[in-house]
Amino acid sequence: MHVLMINGSPRVKKYSNTDKILDKFIEGLCETGTTYERYEISDRKQWEDIRKAYYDNNNILIALPLYVECIPGLLMEFLETLTPKGDGTRIAYILQSGFAEGIQLRCGEAYLEKLTGYLGCEYAGTLVKGDNFSIRFFEGDMRDKVTGPYTGMGREYAANAGFGTKECKAFTGYEIFPAHMRIILGIVFRTVGRVMFTKISRSWGCTRPLDYRPYQ
Amino acid sequence: MILAVNTTSDTSVTEEIKKHAADSGLELEVIEAAGLRISHCIGCNYCWLKTPGECSIKDDYEIILKKIIHADQLWVISDTALGFLDHKGKNIFDRILPIATMYLKFGKDQMRHVRRYDNITDIGIIYRGAADSEYLERWSKRAALNFDGRSLGVFGTDRIKEAVSCMC
Repeated sequence: MHVLMINGSPRVKKYSNTDKILDKFIEGLCETGTTYERYEISDRKQWEDIRKAYYDNNNILIALPLYVECIPGLLMEFLETLTPKGDGTRIAYILQSGFAEGIQLRCGEAYLEKLTGYLGCEYAGTLVKGDNFSIRFFEGDMRDKVTGPYTGMGREYAANAGFGTKECKAFTGYEIFPAHMRIILGIVFRTVGRVMFTKISRSWGCTRPLDYRPYQ
Repeated sequence: MILAVNTTSDTSVTEEIKKHAADSGLELEVIEAAGLRISHCIGCNYCWLKTPGECSIKDDYEIILKKIIHADQLWVISDTALGFLDHKGKNIFDRILPIATMYLKFGKDQMRHVRRYDNITDIGIIYRGAADSEYLERWSKRAALNFDGRSLGVFGTDRIKEAVSCMC
């Protein structure tokens, strides 16, 4: 099998969490002898090549971050330029987000299935997982801890040409956190979380409080 | 204040909204965005972590952002594509990130970002063209969570009078 992989994130490749996820996913994919070609939506210079690859390939995987409950505007802008295929091409998706619970991504997932129909293609499922916001801030083992599990999903995709298996469904993790976890996380958000985010902001050169109001 | 942002090139839609809104005595501000320079969100996170509340993209979206933080309602008028808002309409929503902070909370049983300003904004959508209205209704309810608000509904341009009745 040969797969066209499109990173649908508008963020530049260097800082793209989706890109780091794809790196690990591809490790698993390649173990099976599957080949791939890979493009970035964030680079408009690649759009013509991506369009050509879209028409030339019949196994497509689009990886994307959730943007306001659905697909990012830039990816939408690209998709608007495509002509529906109607040739049995299968499209699968990796949908990832910062929010950790699966329920946060379901509205976006529902659109991806509809989108596939509008593109005249067959839906090959969506791998849904959140809790990925931190990837860009981590290096080495810390990053691998978050992105590493995607390697197994690369193998699953290669074996099944999609994300329909129960292993892929289970990959999402918690659909909704249990009440006790929400209480604990709520405390973490108000304490350690704020300290951690402030620390990151200082390392980025920010001198203002994170709840600063520039327009009031 | 009710803010309507028209990302289509069809100003007859906003003219009709203005007329009905005037008849109802509504305080309405309209931004014709079709001719404005509005980029997509690039996901840099600067508005949360480097320049809190300010977008790193210096374009005309700032005009809209400054209005949203005072608006009780935001209505986005958008063309459609692939059953959904087209990219111009979606970009208006994607660029709202500066109204939220990096801080997180659980609210309305959902994990959300803590809002930056006191004001709460409800959202409504008026679309021009073919769309999956049932999905748009679902999406609008989800999108409203990002404003700590609620969805006022989703209406085709053949139902503008009905949309304005929801602005009251």
